[in-house]
Amino acid sequence: MRESDALHARALAFVGAFAKGLRMPESFDTLACDVARFQAKRIDGFARLCLARGVEPSAFRVSRDIPAVPTEAFKAACVRWFPEEEILATFRTSGTSAGIRGTHSLRRPETYDTAALAFGRWALTSDCPERPVVLILGPGPDEAPDSSLTRMAALFAERLGAVDSRPPYFVSRGVLDIAGIDDRIAESTLRGQRVLLLATAFALVHFLDALAGAPFPLPPGSRVMQTGGFKGRSREVDSRALRRELSRVFAVDERAIVGEYGMTELSSQFYEATLCGGDPEIYVEPPWARIEPVHPETLDPVEDGDVGIARIVDLMNVDSAVAVLASDRVRRRGAGVELLGRLPGSPPRGCSLALDELLGEARGVE
Amino acid sequence: MNRTCDERLRDVRRLVDAAREVSLDAAVVEALVATTGLTRPGVTLALEEHLETRPSEDELRRLVERAGTAERVHVVLSSNVFVGALRALAVARAASERVTAAPSRRASVFARALVERTADPGLSIDGALDIRKFGGGEIHVYGRDSTIAHFRASAPKGVRVRGHGSGLGIALVTSWADPTVAARALARDVAAFDQRGCLSPRVVLFFGGEGVGQEFSSELDRALVSLEDVVPRGNLEPQESMAVARYADAIAFVGRLWRGKAHLVGLAPKGAPLFVPPSGRHIHIALVESLSDARARIATVAQFVTAVGSDDIEIVRGLVDHPARVSRLGEMQRPPLDGPVDMRGQSVVTEATS
Repeated sequence: MRESDALHARALAFVGAFAKGLRMPESFDTLACDVARFQAKRIDGFARLCLARGVEPSAFRVSRDIPAVPTEAFKAACVRWFPEEEILATFRTSGTSAGIRGTHSLRRPETYDTAALAFGRWALTSDCPERPVVLILGPGPDEAPDSSLTRMAALFAERLGAVDSRPPYFVSRGVLDIAGIDDRIAESTLRGQRVLLLATAFALVHFLDALAGAPFPLPPGSRVMQTGGFKGRSREVDSRALRRELSRVFAVDERAIVGEYGMTELSSQFYEATLCGGDPEIYVEPPWARIEPVHPETLDPVEDGDVGIARIVDLMNVDSAVAVLASDRVRRRGAGVELLGRLPGSPPRGCSLALDELLGEARGVE
Repeated sequence: MNRTCDERLRDVRRLVDAAREVSLDAAVVEALVATTGLTRPGVTLALEEHLETRPSEDELRRLVERAGTAERVHVVLSSNVFVGALRALAVARAASERVTAAPSRRASVFARALVERTADPGLSIDGALDIRKFGGGEIHVYGRDSTIAHFRASAPKGVRVRGHGSGLGIALVTSWADPTVAARALARDVAAFDQRGCLSPRVVLFFGGEGVGQEFSSELDRALVSLEDVVPRGNLEPQESMAVARYADAIAFVGRLWRGKAHLVGLAPKGAPLFVPPSGRHIHIALVESLSDARARIATVAQFVTAVGSDDIEIVRGLVDHPARVSRLGEMQRPPLDGPVDMRGQSVVTEATS
């Protein structure tokens, strides 16, 4: 445990330095490799993965050397080194038609919270002179206790938002409380307070559908954080079209619609830095996490600018998997990565069941 | 005019005879090697051992009896292993005097050659048929669920759409099986069509603990290596290769992996949720304690199971609730020519309502 705690401290030093605008305390690769070596020592599955890939943890020099754990492993095994009684938070992926959910357990959720808060503050509120009113188009922790997104949203409401004793959640049992959110927005407008609206893309589509095109202006300076796909929970909307429509309905600049990319299996998040001078559609990494596109078959890094599968190294995943292989296609562009969705399905040969048929293409995003 | 049973049998036999001739046609073999993704030995294996060129009289009678009667049948061969065209056309021709077929653009060689060689005035290729104008009769769709759904939505009212979706084979190996014999037989089932058939086993339920499970996994690995020397695997689709890479790393983390030049064997620990590996000679072994444990383990995929193979075929009859092809290991890819391979039955038959 002492070794893990020391690694947590080193990981959190990255966050502290970022929050203070200081240089990172050490090299990303050094810490990533140390965390990976620790995990190879303590997590049998990771040791087996290293063996199967023919890599020796003591030989790790850069984070690229670390085999990434596919997200599928989180569905079938305990991706952690510590015993069950030390679990303080458990996040689960949303279900698929195959009914298996991935699980990510944390021993020190404060590491998750600290990192999420620091990067969220930078991406969403760094230009705000005062704390915005945080409103959440989603359920509260009572209703979704194992959702990492819900935890993060609650954290943002508490630590980034203006003090308010009322619950910030406006979805209950799948029903949008449009009247409730309307009241709070009207109140914020009267008080001249900005609003930070946090929502999944599918919740926003339901919200837009409920409004039937009517405007729903947010107070000046407000912003919207949207995350995740549609997963069959609403109609599918092209991301640019959704951004345009949200901008129109909420009467905010398109740059104030900020995309977030996160996964249950990670402890870090990625944002479009449009409020910090970045480009839309480009998700930037915090200094403690990296997204690298890798070839889908060889899992080797692709040439710069080429499309690959997201291999994510997350220094905050001290007790689980420091390198995770996601299913999304990404391409490095400028200061970040473009998210390009899943690999398009090629027509199958033969009549054997295709995996996407089995999984119903549902994806566990937070 | 309604044909007698013997007349229907005659029409089906004509197809079978033509299939035998087509299987010996070097030009067809060349074209199949070029288009199916299988190697030449893979194509030869399919034609020599899995094309039903010697059905018994009883089998054909059962096929005719099960086929029913239709004014006309249009067969859509959207995705199936290439030899599947024979069974699909035989079922359709048994049912109707007027059969048209639309082979997929990617895998039309065998179906076209078969129709041409049969030279049956009641059977023709029609890849451009407008389904919305199809009047009466039946449409038999062999393809993915989404393709079947499309035809159900597009077919005119009164047209019966028989859907034969994609499926999955499951093998069950008992603790009293000889592991070497069982592994060799199973490897043959896996290698046929490079595991792309809807009867192809992709999951093994193994009765026993970790130790014997590892022993069986090693045997299966060895059997697949040996088979690769004789019948090399063909090309994988990019998406298959991607899924292979993910499966390999995931099962290495979760359990144990045996990796061959062109196959994977993954052994999951007891109690782990079921993984279904991608097709292309990849087998996932799950350890189970009993038939009820086996049923629980496959609950999430049971609806897709079209074939069950085992060293003890009596014990596996109750593995899934719906009808499925049950056979000994090594015979999973050789179902009798007595009707569609997919026996999931009437649940896949619907009548279009629009």
